[in-house]
This record gives sequence, structure tokens and C-alpha cells, in this order.
Amino acid sequence: MKNIEIAIIGAGPSGLAAAIELSNKGHKDIIVFDREDEAGGTPRHCGHLGFGIFEFKRIFSGPNYAKKLVSKSKGAGVKINLKSTLIKVDKNILTFSTPNGLEKYNAKKIIFALGARETARPSLLVSGTRSPNIITTGALQRFVYMEKRVPFKKVVIIGSEDVSFSALMTCRHAGIHVEAILEEDKSINCFSILKLISKYIFNIPVKTGIKIIEIKGKDKKISGTSISKNEKEEFIECDGVIFSGNFTPESAILQTSFKEFNYKNNSLHVTQNFQTKNKDIFVVGNALRGALAAYKCYFEGKNVAKYVHDSLKEEEKLVTVPIEADDNIEWCSPSLVDLNALKKSLTSFKVKRNGTGVLKVLHNDEKLLEQTIDAYTYKSIDMPWIDGLKLKKGDKIKIEFN
Amino acid sequence: MKHIDLNNLFSKKTSNFGKDEVFDIAVIGAGVVGTAIFKEFCENGAKTVLVEKANDLLEGASKGNSAIIHTGFDAPPESLELECVKRGYAEYMKIREELNLPILKTTALVVAWSDEQLEKLDAILQKGLNNGISELEQISQKQVFKKEPNLSKKAKGAIIVHGESVIDAWSAPLAYLRCGIVAGGKTAFSHEVKDGHFNGEFWELKTSQKTIKAKTVINAAGLYGDIVDSIKGSKDFKIIPRKGQFIIFDETAYNLINSIILPVPTKITKGVVITKTAFGNLLVGPTAEDQESRDNSITLEQTLKDLQHKASEIIPKIKKHKIVATFAGLRPASDETYYRVSINDEKNWITAGGIRSTGLTSSLGLAKHIFEINDKKYTKKESKVKLDNVPNISEFASRDYETSGYDKIICHCEKVTKREIQNACRGETSTGTLGGLKRRTRATMGRCQGFNCLSAVAEICESEKK
Repeated sequence: MKNIEIAIIGAGPSGLAAAIELSNKGHKDIIVFDREDEAGGTPRHCGHLGFGIFEFKRIFSGPNYAKKLVSKSKGAGVKINLKSTLIKVDKNILTFSTPNGLEKYNAKKIIFALGARETARPSLLVSGTRSPNIITTGALQRFVYMEKRVPFKKVVIIGSEDVSFSALMTCRHAGIHVEAILEEDKSINCFSILKLISKYIFNIPVKTGIKIIEIKGKDKKISGTSISKNEKEEFIECDGVIFSGNFTPESAILQTSFKEFNYKNNSLHVTQNFQTKNKDIFVVGNALRGALAAYKCYFEGKNVAKYVHDSLKEEEKLVTVPIEADDNIEWCSPSLVDLNALKKSLTSFKVKRNGTGVLKVLHNDEKLLEQTIDAYTYKSIDMPWIDGLKLKKGDKIKIEFN
Repeated sequence: MKHIDLNNLFSKKTSNFGKDEVFDIAVIGAGVVGTAIFKEFCENGAKTVLVEKANDLLEGASKGNSAIIHTGFDAPPESLELECVKRGYAEYMKIREELNLPILKTTALVVAWSDEQLEKLDAILQKGLNNGISELEQISQKQVFKKEPNLSKKAKGAIIVHGESVIDAWSAPLAYLRCGIVAGGKTAFSHEVKDGHFNGEFWELKTSQKTIKAKTVINAAGLYGDIVDSIKGSKDFKIIPRKGQFIIFDETAYNLINSIILPVPTKITKGVVITKTAFGNLLVGPTAEDQESRDNSITLEQTLKDLQHKASEIIPKIKKHKIVATFAGLRPASDETYYRVSINDEKNWITAGGIRSTGLTSSLGLAKHIFEINDKKYTKKESKVKLDNVPNISEFASRDYETSGYDKIICHCEKVTKREIQNACRGETSTGTLGGLKRRTRATMGRCQGFNCLSAVAEICESEKK
């Protein structure tokens, strides 16, 4: 077993940003571990432009952004261990499977920057046949941008988040015809302009408020997708189906390794400093609550470095108050308030459905705030610290949206 | 950009024997029953060929089941099914270590959820004892919760069946196939039997590739058993496919139970089972839906939701866990509940039909039964074919990713290495379908369902294609 000061799991934007920043703060005993054979994380297979403007003041494609991150890390002297799959976490001891055999590390501080994945069809319980041509955007992008292959000719895209339009761009790049973008919600789950662009520039219909009835096909081949709207059925011919969005943290290792798990976010509970109830363990980036843009993960990574640095300097006392959110809220992060840390913001959260609603914040069942807000599924809402709020051990905060 | 057909990543298999070769035995169907019969006859010296229409084994009924090895406590008394289940169970236990086949000895609980069901437990216990299964007893509500703390508090009591266990339902038939090949057997995948003619001495089976000659035909065609059986000239039974839908929860749910949770059967259905799987997940199912179609195994949203609801009634904590896979299997049930096993001495034709959900357990016993009713002697020959044991892919023994030199992990969710995928694509029993690759390695079967690895898996398969 090797002893190290800081272990970072995941060499994507948040993990590498944390490593660079920590290295710049003088921490040289850091290893970033990644299960892939190449560092850079998810941007590696996002072939389109749009990365890096806030971090590097330049626009990169995903793969070039990933390269830039990696070269910056190397420049900062960060050690990256590839092909290292975390298989066990036992307090501060991490066990990795590597092609050289199992390796164990005892780290003083651990940052989980595990990233997220899209939700695949089975979890959504959609009716119909099974076929290898039912895939997620991520899988499609890996086919197109990494293997230069296309598995189908004509698809429907299910979902209407930002990534659904990435799927559309990936299809256009690969010469795959998109028959329609399908959304069961009444409106799309990203900026509505994308619906217009899709319809008027690319001539691809975005059908909202529909119900997916069945993916039709036989012998693992898809013949089409049948949908209904206002009790009218429609059959859309296609040989592939892309399930896009519905990101969820890649957090199974956290769920099986830690007693207390945040089932709402599918992650661990963290404070405003990204610190878990175990003071040595931090979670950052998309591992906290599904997908944010790469730059947000990058800046979270930069921020977490500061807190990890501070926590190495002095043995602090961790006193936390939980923040709970109701069922209309998809996630709420942070879900703990560290009473000894800076209290600039309370938390941020995302709602499950688009629309106007009443937001309430309760402190030990006493109403602190009530206001009507417009909420969108694609925009998280930042809750600033509420003036006059005094918290003590044993308190709790609840957020409701109706 | 170049197209990649995910349904056609593997070469179509051919056969490696001459067209004039006359076999002692042709087994039709490479499901669990067919492979077990193949093993039995090959190992006893019969010159045997296994004929299968798909490009890999287990492409029909045997690919989707609950992977439980049954003791036979609830099998029909004095039936052939009970006899085969008991023999099959004993045989699996005898050979499994030598063949590197895993087992998780879980025990099973038949749980009563109402007073009415509680009253029925005694009859279940008696039936089991009469069936010759001694390792079972009734336990109290308190004992149930001690054993299964996560079970709904509505449980009233249970019968504990000590022998019921979980196995890897895919590696076992693959091991049987390999045993047959090692003993000199031949295979003919992608050979769909279309028709046959018996000339008084041997059968000429017309297939989608070449004609295959064999003195005796054993029909183990599963879902197509009745159609294949009509080749012999009479129709003795009808297959009524029974669809079973399943949901599989992520590995995070694996430790919610210790035993297999069985329901008290009603007249209509055996009911929904909850069990650990060999691959570290939790499985819930099956439903029982009779249908006409032999190949349509679609899943339905409402049925899956009902299963999910049912699961949460039994284990409330399961609500917090994610479903990672859903599937539907078809059981080759027939128009009667019993096994349709018969021998036609004039036509040298043996039928192993209507082998329902107990086939995984009974297959090795059924193979012995069929060898006995065939009542012929064969001389064992020396075979030069050598094959390694099937690699372990279950969670019950160590896996490739825990060793070294595997190149890299391709499927992260299921921790499948590049070496494992390459090996599955190579050799005498290489995979012929993407499904076959999943069943040999677990690749793409996990919570991300190929989000991370499908393209890399496909790329490896293509580069292995000859």
C-alpha cells in the first residue's frame, strides 16, 4: 500500500481542475486516477465546439478542450494514473484494479470527481423490443467521434435537454437522419430557442407532450417508434433510438461504500465546501447531481482545491445542518450547511417540471421565505444565504416548491 | 462515415464435418436442455452433433430466466419433472467445481403475506417432504425478520428451503457444450432444421446450410419444439410460449436480501420471485403471460411498473434503488403442465419438449433420463480436443479484473476486461452474437447499458471477426 496526500478519482474537468489548483498551492503528492486509458473525461467524445470560453478564453471542441486540460495538468506536475478502476473504498484506503494487478493507496484526502452518465432505456421502463441500436447520446458520440462509425441510418431522439441537441448535431455530423425529437413533458427541457432552430433550420420536428407507446421491431432490429398525442397514434419509422439526457452521477461506488447516501442527488451529502460528513472526503462536479456544463465542473474543481488545502492545514471541527428538499425538486446541492464555513449561499436546486410555483424555505418548520418563482428544468436556481438566518447544531432546513 | 451493424458483428458459423458423415445422434436446439443432452451423449461415446438455428447457444428460451437452481420441493409429485430436477440438482453439485461453475448458497424463503397464505405453508412443507426434500422447515415471523431484516413487516411466516441456490445460468450451458466438444461432439450453429426424412436407417435433416445425417434425432428445440416435432410425422403437443418479464436492480440493492424470496403459489401463477443474481444484482420477476408468438418478447411499461411496485411491497427499501435492466424471456410451456418427453422407436426420434421454467435445474437429469430411455450402447473414443474451463464471470469467485495483464477494463459497470472480450470471440465455442458476448462476459449489461463501452466492445468484436 502506498501513502499519498491527496487522491482524486476522475480525470475529467472537475478532477483535473482540482489537481492543477492543488498543485499550484504546493501540494505535489497528488494522484489523479481514471479508469479510461486517456485522461480528459466526457468532453473527449463531445466532438462539437463550445468548450473552454470561461476557463481558457478560447473556444475548443470537446476533444481539444480535454487535451488542453491534460496538458495544463502535466504542466503543473500532476500525476495521472490511467486504467485504474476504483473497486473499493474503505475509509481512507482505496483499492484499484489495474492491468498490473490490484493497487492500494492510503490517502489523507480524497476527492471524488466521478462524473455522470445518461439514463439508459431500461431504467425508464419504456415498452418495446430490445435492440443494440437503442443507445444513449454518450454511446453514439463514442461511436461517431472515437470509432468513426455509425450504427444506424434513421433515428428518433428521446429527451429534450441540451444534450439532446448535441445528439442531433452528432447525427448531422455522422450523416444519420433524425426523424424527430420526442419529449413527454409539455415543453422542452432546455432553452426554447433550440426547438425553433431544430424545426426551422434543420427541419426536424420537436414533438412535446407525447407519450412513447412502444419501440417496435423484431429479432433485435428496430422498425420504428410509435407515439401518441391527444389519443392520436403515430408511427415513426427508424432503425435506431437515442435516449438522451436524464444524467445521473456515476456514483454506485459511493452508494456501496458509504453508510449515508443522498438518494435524491444520487451522491453523498456535501457542505458548501464540497466536504462530506467524513472530513477527509470531498465530492465535486457532476458526481454531485447529474450533468452541469464542463466549465461549471471546472470551476467547482478549482474551488474544492481551496477547501481541501485548508482542511489539510488545520484540523477543523465539522458541524453540519441538513437541507432537505421536497419531491418536486430533482436535486439540491449542497445538502448540508457547514456552520463553521463561509455562508454566502444556502444551496442551489433544480425542479422536476417547468412552470411557475411557490418556493418556501423552512427553518425547523418555521417559514423563512415564501415567494413565487418561474422555474425551469434546465436551469438550476441559486439560493443566496437568507439574512438573519442563525443555525445551530440539530437544526434543519427544508425547501419546498409547489 | 462507415456503417457498423451491431446485429451482425460476428461471422456466420459453419460446421466442421463432412456431408456424408452419419452421426449416432443429432440434438436439435442449443438451449440448456440441448447442451446438457449433447454433453451426456458425447461423454458416453455417441457420435453426436448439436444442431442450432441461431448463431450461438442460448438464443431462445434459455437466455432469460431467474437463474435459480431448484431442489424440487414444489415440483409436481411423482412426476418426471421432479425426478429430473432432483437428478439435475445433484449432478450440478457434483460437477460444478470441476467445471468452474459458481454457486451462491442462498436458501429460499416461501413467505406468507396473509393469514390465508400462512395456513397454506403446512401443505407446502408436506409436499416438499413427500417429494423427498428433507432440508426444509417452517419458521416464525420473528425468525423471518432475523434472517431478512429488510422484508416488509407484513410477512407472517415462511418455509425455509435450504438447498435453493443461485447459479450463473449462462456459463453452465456453455460448460456443457464444451464438455461435449471435448468428448468429440460436433456443432452446427446457424443450421436451421427445415425438414427431415427417415430412411429406416438414419435421418436426413435438411437445414439452412447442409443436410445432416443421424441415426437418432433428439428434439430439444424449446420454443419451436412442436414445429420440429412434426418432422417425425405426428403432432403430439403444442407449445404455448409463456412470457416472463423481469426487472433487475443495480448492485447497490444486492444486499437487501439474503435468501431467495418466493411467494406462496396460487392456482394461477407461481408468482413473483426476488433473488440475487450471479452478477451481483437483484432480480424481480417473472410475470406469466401466455401468448402465440415464439419470438416476440417485448417488455411493457405498465407490467414493469407493476413489478417494481410489487418489489417495493416486499422490500420497501428497494424504492431507493435504480433499475438497470429489464428483459422478457419466453418459457416453452406446452398445452399440458408436464414435460413432454417421449421416444418413438420406429422413427428413432426422441422428444424433450415443454421443458418449462425448471429446465435450468433439470437439464442434466433429463439428459441422463433420455440417455437411459434411448437404451443404446456406444463405445467411448479418445478425443484430441482440449478446452479450458469456462472463465468465471460471477461475483461468487475471483474475476479477471482482479488479476493482471488484462490490457484494460472495457465495460466499467460490470468490470469486463479487454482480454475477456477477446477470449469470448475466439476458439471452438466463440460467441456468435452480441447477446452471446454479454452472456459470456457481462459486457454492456450494467447500469450504463453501453453508454461508456458499447462502441469499444463493438470495435473489439469487429477486429476479431475473421
